Amino acid sequence: MGKGYTGEIIERHRDGRKEGEYLSAQVDFVLLHDPTFALLLPELKESGEEIWDRDKVLLTVDHFAPPSSIERANIVKEVLSFAAEKKLPHLSVYQGICHQLLVEGPWLKPGMLVLGADSHTVTGGALGCLATGMGSTDILYALITGGTWLKPPEAVRIDLREKLPPYLMGKDVILDLLGRYGEGGFLYQAMEFYDMDEAIPMDDRFAICNMVVEGGAKNGLFLPDRVTENYLMERDGHLEKSKDWLERGFKYSRKIEMDLSSLKPKIALPHSPAQVIDAEEIRDEAIDQVFIGSCTGGRLRDIELTAKLLRGRKVARGVNLLITPASQRIYKKAIEKGYFSAIIEAGGVVLNPSCGPCGGIDKGILGREEKCLSTSNRNFKGRMGDPSSKVFLSSPLTAAASALAGRIVDPREVM
Amino acid sequence: MALPEIISGHVWKLGDHVNTDLLHPPSHFSLDEKRMKEGIVEGILRLGAGVKGDSSDEGWIIVAGENFGCGSSRETSVRGLSVFGVKGVVAVSFARIFMRSLINLGIPVFESGEIQGCVKDGDLIRISLKKGWIESPDSRRFPFSAIDPHLKKILEAGGLVSYLRSEKHGV
Ligand code: SF4
Repeated sequence: MGKGYTGEIIERHRDGRKEGEYLSAQVDFVLLHDPTFALLLPELKESGEEIWDRDKVLLTVDHFAPPSSIERANIVKEVLSFAAEKKLPHLSVYQGICHQLLVEGPWLKPGMLVLGADSHTVTGGALGCLATGMGSTDILYALITGGTWLKPPEAVRIDLREKLPPYLMGKDVILDLLGRYGEGGFLYQAMEFYDMDEAIPMDDRFAICNMVVEGGAKNGLFLPDRVTENYLMERDGHLEKSKDWLERGFKYSRKIEMDLSSLKPKIALPHSPAQVIDAEEIRDEAIDQVFIGSCTGGRLRDIELTAKLLRGRKVARGVNLLITPASQRIYKKAIEKGYFSAIIEAGGVVLNPSCGPCGGIDKGILGREEKCLSTSNRNFKGRMGDPSSKVFLSSPLTAAASALAGRIVDPREVM
Repeated sequence: MALPEIISGHVWKLGDHVNTDLLHPPSHFSLDEKRMKEGIVEGILRLGAGVKGDSSDEGWIIVAGENFGCGSSRETSVRGLSVFGVKGVVAVSFARIFMRSLINLGIPVFESGEIQGCVKDGDLIRISLKKGWIESPDSRRFPFSAIDPHLKKILEAGGLVSYLRSEKHGV
């Protein structure tokens, strides 16, 4: 029985009430986006209750961004008029994907308890907090009361050793874990990562934490270290350190060791993020589309590595390469650094920051029997379009390499 | 609102790791109940499930495998099930967000690992919340894990919104 750092965070947020195995806890921050907020809005209005603390809420319009149908336009309109009426201080319209905006803003710090009306809220755990997703009704409860009921999960300690070789990314690490333990391999558990050599860049940590939910985990987090410190320094211009930075004596129910230097680039086959094989094992799998984006794989390092690989080369004929930066800030930086010129010259198409192709929401929707290699987190049947289409998942580097080759390849083949 | 002592409905059987994108394709996201239900009907088609895409008078009880409802947190999948007439869900295990959402919307969930192999689509089964059994058409009874007192309280209130109301205002 070990509840790890997650258990400690819950303990610190408790208000003393307990029912069955559930503890009542105060939350530090709540994330909302257009569709899931729209689902709770009628109940919120009808209740006549106010949001407990408007300063602790980020509302984004990122799924229907901008809307692609009249119905969605009306949903966005409702959401925006509520935000205006209540003068919500943290409102972000078409600025990027909620999970990226949440970690770019000054809100999240190690040790916090964060909820979001979206399953990939787990991404925020990369900053050393307990971040988890819930359905709209649970979030409605948190918005009104500032609290939630949690059943403390068992925690798994995952030690990552060595540096990532240049052909590997955080995405390969999490795909490897999902492949080995399965879609339910971490059901209702906390996955706590120890980067023993402090060598995994923050963007890759976001990708790793983003996909813990694909293994059924309640949350995933990286124990705060120097990488966290540097990220927060750069983001906020200052650092509030707590004893969590050094604390390492937490208890765990399970331990996993990983040597990053021995991993190989991974691919998740249709239609499960846990059906994983080495990219080098795939032969002659031609693809129609490559999508580099989403809250898993549209960050600056993802775009940087893509641009560096594509510079001076051409995307294979018959492949459509779509890139969606995860936020306007990333978009701007990528322009400044010349990444997008390299990508565009190679034949890639840059879309505005939003969810877009990821959930088959808009743009880049797959037609009958089309095949896509995507850097997103889910390749469930029909998620990106026609139910007969097929989605493979990989790191941005493997995706970019495959766009050049016109078929799925191990990036080492073209590097 | 007290929970009924017995829930009965026709079995809608599902396998392991059935995700919410399959159950309710994201392209069917809508705030309109009719459209939410259409999403479930589309999900049934995609799942190749044995139930017909229409409600039955008795309503449905889903009998699923492991990690039921993994994937997206979009509550439209649960609301769609509710509109479709799903009165209870039995599974070997549940994905956590999905399970919370079912309870929050007042749909009871039952963890049971034995009944899966003993019923088929369309069978009429009964569940006794009080006595803790699920009964197949041939009158065999299967136990389910005890429902956590906190979740029971939410269910008895009729869902999380009513639970919140009673917590705040005592009504
Ligand atoms: S990018 Fe995809 S997975 Fe991420 S929040 Fe948007 S729809 Fe969900």
